Amino acid sequence: MIVFLRAGGQLRAMLRPDVDHYTRKVEIDGEKTVGEILNYISLDTAHVALIHVDGRMKDLSYRPSDGQTITLQPPVSGG
Amino acid sequence: MAYGSASSRGLAGTTLRINLTTGEIRKYPTDEKLMREWFGGRGAIAKILYDEVPRDADPLGPENLFIISAGVMSGCFIPAGAKIGFGSISPLTNGHGDSNMGGHLGPALKFAGYDMVIMSGISPKPSYLFIDDDKVELRDASRYWGMGSLECEPVMKKDLGEDFEIATIGPAGENGIRFSCITHDFGRQAGRTGQGAVMGSKKLKAIAVRGTGGIKVHDLDKLTEHVTAIIKRTQTHPNMAPWQKYGTAFFIDWSNTNAVLPTRNFQTTYCEDIAGIDGEALVEKCLITHKACFGCWMNCGKYTKAVLPGKQTVYLEGPEYETGALCGSNLGMTDINQVAYLNWLMDNVGMDTMSGGGVVAFAMECFQRGLITTDDLEGHTLNWGSVEDAEHFIDMVVHRRGIGEYFSGGTKRAAEKIGRGSERFAMQVKGQEMSGYDGRYAPGMLLSYMTCDIGAHHNRSWTITVDMAEGREKVEGRAKVVIYLQHIRPLFDCWCICRLFWGELDIEPEEIVEALNYITGWDIDTAEAFKTSEKIWNLVRCHYLERNRANGRTFDYPPARSWEDKIPSGPGAGKGLTKEQIELMLDEYYAGRGWDNDGNPSREVLHDLALDFAADNVEKIGLLGKPLPNGIPAVRGERYKPKAF
Repeated sequence: MIVFLRAGGQLRAMLRPDVDHYTRKVEIDGEKTVGEILNYISLDTAHVALIHVDGRMKDLSYRPSDGQTITLQPPVSGG
Repeated sequence: MAYGSASSRGLAGTTLRINLTTGEIRKYPTDEKLMREWFGGRGAIAKILYDEVPRDADPLGPENLFIISAGVMSGCFIPAGAKIGFGSISPLTNGHGDSNMGGHLGPALKFAGYDMVIMSGISPKPSYLFIDDDKVELRDASRYWGMGSLECEPVMKKDLGEDFEIATIGPAGENGIRFSCITHDFGRQAGRTGQGAVMGSKKLKAIAVRGTGGIKVHDLDKLTEHVTAIIKRTQTHPNMAPWQKYGTAFFIDWSNTNAVLPTRNFQTTYCEDIAGIDGEALVEKCLITHKACFGCWMNCGKYTKAVLPGKQTVYLEGPEYETGALCGSNLGMTDINQVAYLNWLMDNVGMDTMSGGGVVAFAMECFQRGLITTDDLEGHTLNWGSVEDAEHFIDMVVHRRGIGEYFSGGTKRAAEKIGRGSERFAMQVKGQEMSGYDGRYAPGMLLSYMTCDIGAHHNRSWTITVDMAEGREKVEGRAKVVIYLQHIRPLFDCWCICRLFWGELDIEPEEIVEALNYITGWDIDTAEAFKTSEKIWNLVRCHYLERNRANGRTFDYPPARSWEDKIPSGPGAGKGLTKEQIELMLDEYYAGRGWDNDGNPSREVLHDLALDFAADNVEKIGLLGKPLPNGIPAVRGERYKPKAF
């Protein structure tokens, strides 16, 4: 299964995009949660403040479907 | 008539000086040298306050100045060039104070032809400043005096016209509550350092501005090309859509998960009922629509309503993160409607929701510990999670009834009155209440509060992700990051543009400086920008020492809870700092700034920043820093890139 992860700010560097400036393509075996996917690519989930999929907020337990794009947002840097 | 600026573009050209005691209004050409050397906004405010306000002036007296300053980028074609700064000697901290707001007032002031308004004296009767392009008047505000901020603005718009931009104070400012704010655009606040109290002390209820002119820029073609590229890039940025949907409120849950969310007056950092007050709850239960400031396409503002049984349904902007934390978990609230209602209440009475939340939380803990009782509260209780209790207490504070008088000066003054150990959990530094992050498991954040030039505040330096990346129990090395952030972040408050495009959408400082040069015709680089910001920081420090007459280090400590109490619950349970770690951070910070170990700037660093006049002044009172054994660092503050980069 393939999912696309997008991130900006300091998360972008941690994500190491390979599709475009913000996006990384990740291939995984079978269904996995967002938390498991981030663990698989060694991205510390503590740096993720918000997970956004199709305009909806999700959490680390969300299981994306094949081809889905998951946007990861870092915390607000203090207003 | 207003004066046009001949050389520096980006300026409106005219500065107003108003003596509120006599009613005299004078127009001067804007001092371009001041703008160039101090960058307008916060920088110009700092220099004018330093030069003109007597060191023994009462912050709420006639000698204090109240300055409004729209920076050189406000109102220009630049992302979110919407800000306007307010400054005076702070009645909370007794030092330089400045605060800013978004909305539309800054651009309107520039469009009317004015860069700054400098007000002195005290009006003999309630008045408001009326600006309609060239027409500038002080008008009678008796009809508006006593109105809540959110009530007053629509009334004034009805009286003057919908196209007037209006900023008001509420009863808190009128009554001299030292953490009063200024409100504009139904929910944009200049909240910090008690600027609303200074307005109130001057009997100035409101500012109403209509501007129909424009602002000349140095190179419109290059500015347009440059900013258009920025706009296109940010439109596809991954952070844009979530920001547009949730604003800053989504961050509550993250803070809770990562053990920095102040809960029940910073007793712990974990709120068990977070789902009721987080960003998703706000969107689901309260959101009406989105809202943006002038020149912004992020629309992070949220128009909402709060519906609570037994209360009138109220409409407001917010709660944003800080209010959500400090009037939510920090007061033991569990429902977003409670938080939104308290947000509306504090906005309307005109008190800063951050300091206001801190003051109510401190009082609730005093009640929890039996330091104040129902006898002190007119028969009421003051329990965690009770909107009714909080509302009654706020009314006591706003009207300075009974024990409310103690709290009208903020937590530090209240603790000095209450005593009995309450000082250790009065969560403030230099008299200003902490923002919505607990620093016990984020040492750089605590150092940010301790060393902030206007009292505890997050927007000068925010380091929590740095703390996470570098090790949350490690204090070494934090100082250089804090100093760097204290240089870059206040630049936005000088230029009066929103910081979020840098912080959240990856616009680099170099890109902003490039736009600044296209607007003004200046030729500066980021190194000069940072050094100017450092100059402002050091001047404000000297000003604080000159007014408060003790070694700087004595003012830089947080309350003892910060090292005496470990976090008792949640993911940060058992974590905390020692006093020795706090001392070490201060040692590193002072050395990194070129200050001596007493926290006083040395002549060498002040000379390097062209602040010899300030060195002479602090030397006269015995507070010039001793020379550093190895000289001052060549670069103060280090541009931070986390290890992951």
